[in-house]
Amino acid sequence: MDCSYFCERINLYIDGELGYLEVAELQQHLSFCPDCAAELAQVGAVRGALAAWGRLELAPPSGFSERVMTAVELEPAPGAPKPFGQAVDDALQKLDDTLGRIPLPGGRTIPVKNVIGWSLAVAAVAIGLGRRRGRRPRELTPL
Amino acid sequence: MTASNPHKWASLPDPSSAELARAAEGDAQAFKLIVERYQGMVYSVAYNVLGNHTDAEDAAQEAFLRCYRKLSQFRSEATFSTWLFRLALTASVDYKRRERHHPEPVEAPELAADAVPQLGEGVDAATIVAALHDLPEDYRVPTVLRDVYGLPYQEIADATGRPLGTVKVMVHRGRASLRLRLRAEGAGPDQGPAGARPRSDA
Repeated sequence: MDCSYFCERINLYIDGELGYLEVAELQQHLSFCPDCAAELAQVGAVRGALAAWGRLELAPPSGFSERVMTAVELEPAPGAPKPFGQAVDDALQKLDDTLGRIPLPGGRTIPVKNVIGWSLAVAAVAIGLGRRRGRRPRELTPL
Repeated sequence: MTASNPHKWASLPDPSSAELARAAEGDAQAFKLIVERYQGMVYSVAYNVLGNHTDAEDAAQEAFLRCYRKLSQFRSEATFSTWLFRLALTASVDYKRRERHHPEPVEAPELAADAVPQLGEGVDAATIVAALHDLPEDYRVPTVLRDVYGLPYQEIADATGRPLGTVKVMVHRGRASLRLRLRAEGAGPDQGPAGARPRSDA
Protein backbone atom coordinates (compact mmCIF):
# COMPACT_ATOMS: atom_id res chain seq x y z
CA MET A 1 0.00 0.00 0.00
CA ASP A 2 1.09 3.58 -0.69
CA CYS A 3 3.13 5.17 2.11
CA SER A 4 1.23 8.46 1.80
CA TYR A 5 -1.84 6.62 3.15
CA PHE A 6 0.07 5.67 6.30
CA CYS A 7 1.81 9.02 6.43
CA GLU A 8 -1.54 10.71 7.03
CA ARG A 9 -2.45 8.12 9.65
CA ILE A 10 0.66 8.74 11.72
CA ASN A 11 -0.80 11.99 13.08
CA LEU A 12 -4.10 10.31 13.88
CA TYR A 13 -2.18 7.49 15.58
CA ILE A 14 -0.23 9.96 17.69
CA ASP A 15 -3.47 11.71 18.65
CA GLY A 16 -5.04 8.37 19.65
CA GLU A 17 -7.75 8.75 17.05
CA LEU A 18 -7.33 5.43 15.22
CA GLY A 19 -9.48 2.38 15.88
CA TYR A 20 -8.04 -0.98 16.91
CA LEU A 21 -7.91 -2.40 13.38
CA GLU A 22 -6.40 0.79 11.96
CA VAL A 23 -3.70 0.74 14.63
CA ALA A 24 -2.92 -2.90 13.83
CA GLU A 25 -2.73 -2.08 10.10
CA LEU A 26 -0.39 0.87 10.74
CA GLN A 27 1.83 -1.09 13.12
CA GLN A 28 2.17 -3.88 10.57
CA HIS A 29 3.26 -1.35 7.95
CA LEU A 30 5.71 0.29 10.37
CA SER A 31 7.32 -3.08 11.05
CA PHE A 32 8.70 -3.28 7.50
CA CYS A 33 8.77 0.40 6.39
CA PRO A 34 11.79 2.24 7.86
CA ASP A 35 10.71 5.55 6.26
CA CYS A 36 7.35 5.59 8.02
CA ALA A 37 8.91 4.31 11.25
CA ALA A 38 11.43 7.19 11.10
CA GLU A 39 8.61 9.64 10.42
CA LEU A 40 6.66 8.39 13.42
CA ALA A 41 9.75 8.77 15.61
CA GLN A 42 10.36 12.31 14.34
CA VAL A 43 6.77 13.49 14.76
CA GLY A 44 6.76 11.95 18.23
CA ALA A 45 9.99 13.77 19.05
CA VAL A 46 8.50 17.08 17.88
CA ARG A 47 5.47 16.55 20.11
CA GLY A 48 7.70 15.62 23.02
CA ALA A 49 9.84 18.72 22.58
CA LEU A 50 6.76 20.97 22.34
CA ALA A 51 5.20 19.43 25.45
CA ALA A 52 8.48 19.87 27.35
CA TRP A 53 8.64 23.48 26.15
CA GLY A 54 5.10 24.05 27.43
CA ARG A 55 6.14 22.96 30.92
CA LEU A 56 8.84 25.61 31.13
CA GLU A 57 8.10 28.92 32.72
CA LEU A 58 9.27 32.08 30.97
CA ALA A 59 10.37 35.16 32.87
CA PRO A 60 7.93 38.04 32.39
CA PRO A 61 9.41 41.43 31.49
CA SER A 62 10.72 43.41 34.42
CA GLY A 63 8.06 45.57 36.08
CA PHE A 64 5.25 43.42 34.65
CA SER A 65 3.45 42.78 37.95
CA GLU A 66 3.58 46.51 38.81
CA ARG A 67 2.00 47.39 35.46
CA VAL A 68 -0.72 44.79 36.02
CA MET A 69 -1.48 46.24 39.45
CA THR A 70 -1.64 49.77 38.02
CA ALA A 71 -4.26 48.54 35.54
CA VAL A 72 -6.11 46.63 38.28
CA GLU A 73 -6.32 49.75 40.42
CA LEU A 74 -8.16 51.52 37.57
CA GLU A 75 -10.82 48.78 37.61
CA PRO A 76 -14.04 49.28 39.57
CA ALA A 77 -13.85 47.35 42.85
CA PRO A 78 -15.39 43.88 42.63
CA GLY A 79 -18.98 44.11 43.84
CA ALA A 80 -19.29 47.81 42.87
CA PRO A 81 -22.09 48.59 40.40
CA LYS A 82 -20.83 47.71 36.94
CA PRO A 83 -21.06 49.95 33.90
CA PHE A 84 -24.13 49.02 31.83
CA GLY A 85 -22.12 47.56 28.93
CA GLN A 86 -20.07 45.31 31.18
CA ALA A 87 -23.15 44.15 33.08
CA VAL A 88 -24.82 43.15 29.78
CA ASP A 89 -21.65 41.40 28.65
CA ASP A 90 -21.39 39.48 31.93
CA ALA A 91 -25.04 38.45 31.74
CA LEU A 92 -24.56 37.17 28.17
CA GLN A 93 -21.39 35.37 29.22
CA LYS A 94 -23.28 33.63 32.03
CA LEU A 95 -25.99 32.66 29.55
CA ASP A 96 -23.29 31.46 27.18
CA ASP A 97 -21.71 29.33 29.93
CA THR A 98 -25.11 27.89 30.81
CA LEU A 99 -26.42 27.16 27.33
CA GLY A 100 -23.11 26.40 25.63
CA ARG A 101 -22.63 26.58 21.89
CA ILE A 102 -24.78 25.73 18.90
CA PRO A 103 -23.26 23.24 16.43
CA LEU A 104 -23.31 24.23 12.77
CA PRO A 105 -22.77 22.07 9.68
CA GLY A 106 -19.10 21.41 8.97
CA GLY A 107 -18.10 21.07 12.61
CA ARG A 108 -18.28 24.80 13.37
CA THR A 109 -19.93 26.02 16.57
CA ILE A 110 -21.16 29.46 17.58
CA PRO A 111 -21.80 30.81 21.07
CA VAL A 112 -25.43 31.28 22.03
CA LYS A 113 -24.76 34.90 23.01
CA ASN A 114 -23.80 35.68 19.40
CA VAL A 115 -27.10 34.23 18.18
CA ILE A 116 -28.96 36.32 20.76
CA GLY A 117 -27.04 39.43 19.71
CA TRP A 118 -27.78 38.88 16.02
CA SER A 119 -31.46 38.14 16.75
CA LEU A 120 -31.80 41.37 18.73
CA ALA A 121 -30.11 43.33 15.95
CA VAL A 122 -32.39 41.80 13.28
CA ALA A 123 -35.46 42.42 15.46
CA ALA A 124 -34.44 46.06 15.98
CA VAL A 125 -33.98 46.59 12.22
CA ALA A 126 -37.32 44.86 11.47
CA ILE A 127 -39.15 47.00 14.04
CA GLY A 128 -37.50 50.12 12.66
CA LEU A 129 -38.49 49.26 9.09
CA GLY A 130 -42.03 48.37 10.20
CA ARG A 131 -42.48 51.72 11.92
CA ARG A 132 -41.13 53.52 8.91
CA ARG A 133 -43.58 51.77 6.58
CA GLY A 134 -46.52 52.45 8.90
CA ARG A 135 -45.80 56.17 8.93
CA ARG A 136 -47.95 58.33 6.65
CA PRO A 137 -46.05 60.04 3.87
CA ARG A 138 -45.54 63.68 4.69
CA GLU A 139 -47.91 65.89 2.76
CA LEU A 140 -46.27 68.65 0.85
CA THR A 141 -47.84 72.05 1.38
CA PRO A 142 -48.20 74.10 -1.78
CA LEU A 143 -46.02 77.14 -1.89
CA MET B 1 19.83 32.21 29.14
CA THR B 2 18.71 30.99 32.52
CA ALA B 3 16.42 28.02 32.80
CA SER B 4 13.56 26.64 34.77
CA ASN B 5 11.78 23.99 36.76
CA PRO B 6 9.29 22.01 34.66
CA HIS B 7 5.70 22.11 35.97
CA LYS B 8 6.65 24.91 38.33
CA TRP B 9 3.29 26.64 38.19
CA ALA B 10 1.36 23.37 38.32
CA SER B 11 3.12 22.38 41.53
CA LEU B 12 2.58 25.72 43.27
CA PRO B 13 0.15 25.47 46.17
CA ASP B 14 -3.09 27.25 45.33
CA PRO B 15 -3.84 30.44 47.25
CA SER B 16 -5.92 29.67 50.34
CA SER B 17 -9.65 30.31 50.20
CA ALA B 18 -9.11 33.21 52.64
CA GLU B 19 -6.52 34.79 50.29
CA LEU B 20 -8.84 34.33 47.31
CA ALA B 21 -11.77 35.79 49.23
CA ARG B 22 -9.74 38.88 50.18
CA ALA B 23 -8.64 39.38 46.55
CA ALA B 24 -12.21 38.88 45.31
CA GLU B 25 -13.36 41.61 47.69
CA GLY B 26 -10.89 44.05 46.12
CA ASP B 27 -7.91 43.76 48.47
CA ALA B 28 -5.13 44.94 46.14
CA GLN B 29 -2.38 43.47 48.30
CA ALA B 30 -3.98 40.02 48.20
CA PHE B 31 -4.40 40.22 44.43
CA LYS B 32 -0.80 41.38 44.03
CA LEU B 33 0.39 38.18 45.69
CA ILE B 34 -1.59 36.19 43.12
CA VAL B 35 -0.09 38.21 40.26
CA GLU B 36 3.45 37.73 41.58
CA ARG B 37 2.95 34.01 42.07
CA TYR B 38 1.40 33.27 38.67
CA GLN B 39 2.87 35.93 36.37
CA GLY B 40 5.38 33.49 34.87
CA MET B 41 2.72 30.95 33.98
CA VAL B 42 0.33 33.52 32.49
CA TYR B 43 3.09 35.26 30.55
CA SER B 44 4.42 31.93 29.23
CA VAL B 45 0.99 30.94 27.89
CA ALA B 46 0.55 34.33 26.22
CA TYR B 47 4.03 34.26 24.69
CA ASN B 48 3.62 30.75 23.32
CA VAL B 49 0.25 31.54 21.76
CA LEU B 50 1.20 34.96 20.37
CA GLY B 51 4.90 34.53 19.65
CA ASN B 52 6.17 37.98 20.57
CA HIS B 53 6.82 39.93 23.74
CA THR B 54 4.68 43.01 22.99
CA ASP B 55 1.48 41.07 22.36
CA ALA B 56 2.27 38.60 25.14
CA GLU B 57 2.53 41.35 27.74
CA ASP B 58 -0.77 42.93 26.64
CA ALA B 59 -2.59 39.58 26.60
CA ALA B 60 -1.11 38.50 29.95
CA GLN B 61 -2.25 41.77 31.50
CA GLU B 62 -5.73 41.24 30.03
CA ALA B 63 -5.77 37.73 31.54
CA PHE B 64 -5.07 39.12 35.02
CA LEU B 65 -7.75 41.80 34.59
CA ARG B 66 -10.27 39.09 33.67
CA CYS B 67 -9.10 37.12 36.69
CA TYR B 68 -9.70 40.15 38.94
CA ARG B 69 -13.18 40.72 37.50
CA LYS B 70 -14.21 37.06 37.69
CA LEU B 71 -12.48 36.01 40.88
CA SER B 72 -15.75 35.94 42.81
CA GLN B 73 -17.05 33.39 40.24
CA PHE B 74 -14.17 30.98 40.87
CA ARG B 75 -15.42 27.71 42.29
CA SER B 76 -13.04 25.21 43.76
CA GLU B 77 -14.17 22.43 41.38
CA ALA B 78 -10.89 23.06 39.52
CA THR B 79 -7.64 24.17 41.11
CA PHE B 80 -7.03 27.91 40.97
CA SER B 81 -3.95 27.45 38.76
CA THR B 82 -5.97 25.42 36.22
CA TRP B 83 -8.72 28.04 36.22
CA LEU B 84 -6.21 30.85 35.71
CA PHE B 85 -4.38 28.83 33.03
CA ARG B 86 -7.65 28.54 31.08
CA LEU B 87 -8.28 32.29 31.49
CA ALA B 88 -4.78 33.00 30.16
CA LEU B 89 -5.30 30.72 27.14
CA THR B 90 -8.69 32.28 26.34
CA ALA B 91 -7.38 35.83 26.76
CA SER B 92 -4.43 35.07 24.46
CA VAL B 93 -6.56 33.44 21.74
CA ASP B 94 -9.09 36.29 21.94
CA TYR B 95 -6.23 38.78 21.67
CA LYS B 96 -4.94 36.95 18.60
CA ARG B 97 -8.36 37.16 16.95
CA ARG B 98 -8.88 40.81 17.85
CA GLU B 99 -5.57 42.58 17.44
CA ARG B 100 -3.14 43.02 14.61
CA HIS B 101 -0.02 40.95 15.01
CA HIS B 102 3.10 42.93 15.91
CA PRO B 103 5.91 41.46 13.83
CA GLU B 104 9.08 41.29 15.90
CA PRO B 105 12.42 39.69 15.20
CA VAL B 106 12.63 36.31 16.84
CA GLU B 107 14.18 36.59 20.26
CA ALA B 108 14.37 33.67 22.65
CA PRO B 109 12.61 34.58 25.89
CA GLU B 110 14.29 34.42 29.27
CA LEU B 111 13.37 31.35 31.25
CA ALA B 112 12.46 31.60 34.90
CA ALA B 113 14.78 29.28 36.86
CA ASP B 114 18.27 27.84 36.79
CA ALA B 115 18.29 24.32 35.30
CA VAL B 116 19.04 23.74 31.62
CA PRO B 117 15.80 22.52 30.06
CA GLN B 118 15.85 19.12 28.33
CA LEU B 119 13.55 19.39 25.34
CA GLY B 120 14.80 16.39 23.38
CA GLU B 121 17.79 15.21 21.44
CA GLY B 122 19.57 18.22 19.96
CA VAL B 123 16.61 20.53 20.66
CA ASP B 124 17.15 23.64 22.73
CA ALA B 125 14.87 26.51 23.67
CA ALA B 126 16.17 28.78 20.90
CA THR B 127 15.46 26.09 18.26
CA ILE B 128 11.89 25.63 19.47
CA VAL B 129 11.23 29.37 19.67
CA ALA B 130 12.62 29.95 16.17
CA ALA B 131 10.69 27.00 14.71
CA LEU B 132 7.40 28.16 16.27
CA HIS B 133 8.11 31.72 15.15
CA ASP B 134 8.51 30.56 11.54
CA LEU B 135 5.25 28.60 11.47
CA PRO B 136 2.57 30.15 9.28
CA GLU B 137 0.17 32.18 11.43
CA ASP B 138 -2.77 29.87 10.74
CA TYR B 139 -0.88 26.82 11.99
CA ARG B 140 0.78 28.32 15.01
CA VAL B 141 -2.13 28.76 17.42
CA PRO B 142 -3.79 25.34 16.85
CA THR B 143 -0.40 23.60 17.02
CA VAL B 144 0.57 25.38 20.23
CA LEU B 145 -2.80 24.68 21.84
CA ARG B 146 -2.67 21.01 20.85
CA ASP B 147 0.96 20.00 21.25
CA VAL B 148 2.35 22.54 23.73
CA TYR B 149 -0.71 22.59 26.02
CA GLY B 150 -2.50 19.34 25.10
CA LEU B 151 -5.97 20.79 24.51
CA PRO B 152 -8.56 18.51 22.86
CA TYR B 153 -9.25 19.31 19.20
CA GLN B 154 -12.88 20.23 19.88
CA GLU B 155 -11.83 22.79 22.49
CA ILE B 156 -9.35 24.31 20.04
CA ALA B 157 -12.09 24.51 17.39
CA ASP B 158 -14.38 26.28 19.88
CA ALA B 159 -11.67 28.69 21.03
CA THR B 160 -10.51 29.63 17.54
CA GLY B 161 -13.95 29.53 15.88
CA ARG B 162 -12.70 27.19 13.16
CA PRO B 163 -14.24 23.90 12.01
CA LEU B 164 -12.93 20.77 13.73
CA GLY B 165 -11.57 19.25 10.51
CA THR B 166 -9.71 22.46 9.64
CA VAL B 167 -8.11 22.55 13.07
CA LYS B 168 -6.85 18.97 12.68
CA VAL B 169 -5.38 19.71 9.27
CA MET B 170 -3.66 22.83 10.62
CA VAL B 171 -2.12 20.90 13.51
CA HIS B 172 -0.91 18.11 11.20
CA ARG B 173 0.65 20.64 8.85
CA GLY B 174 2.14 22.56 11.74
CA ARG B 175 3.77 19.38 13.02
CA ALA B 176 5.08 18.53 9.55
CA SER B 177 6.55 21.99 9.20
CA LEU B 178 8.18 21.81 12.65
CA ARG B 179 9.52 18.33 11.92
CA LEU B 180 11.19 19.53 8.73
CA ARG B 181 12.58 22.57 10.50
CA LEU B 182 14.01 20.60 13.42
CA ARG B 183 15.40 17.95 11.08
CA ALA B 184 17.13 20.67 9.06
CA GLU B 185 18.72 21.87 12.31
CA GLY B 186 19.94 18.34 12.97
CA ALA B 187 17.65 17.95 15.98
CA GLY B 188 15.46 15.02 16.91
CA PRO B 189 15.91 11.27 16.72
CA ASP B 190 17.31 9.16 13.91
CA GLN B 191 17.30 11.09 10.67
CA GLY B 192 15.92 8.05 8.85
CA PRO B 193 17.67 5.24 7.05
CA ALA B 194 20.54 6.00 4.71
CA GLY B 195 19.17 6.90 1.34
CA ALA B 196 15.67 7.45 2.69
CA ARG B 197 13.71 9.40 0.18
CA PRO B 198 12.46 12.84 1.07
CA ARG B 199 8.76 12.81 1.85
CA SER B 200 6.28 15.43 0.85
CA ASP B 201 4.61 16.90 3.92
CA ALA B 202 1.54 18.63 2.56
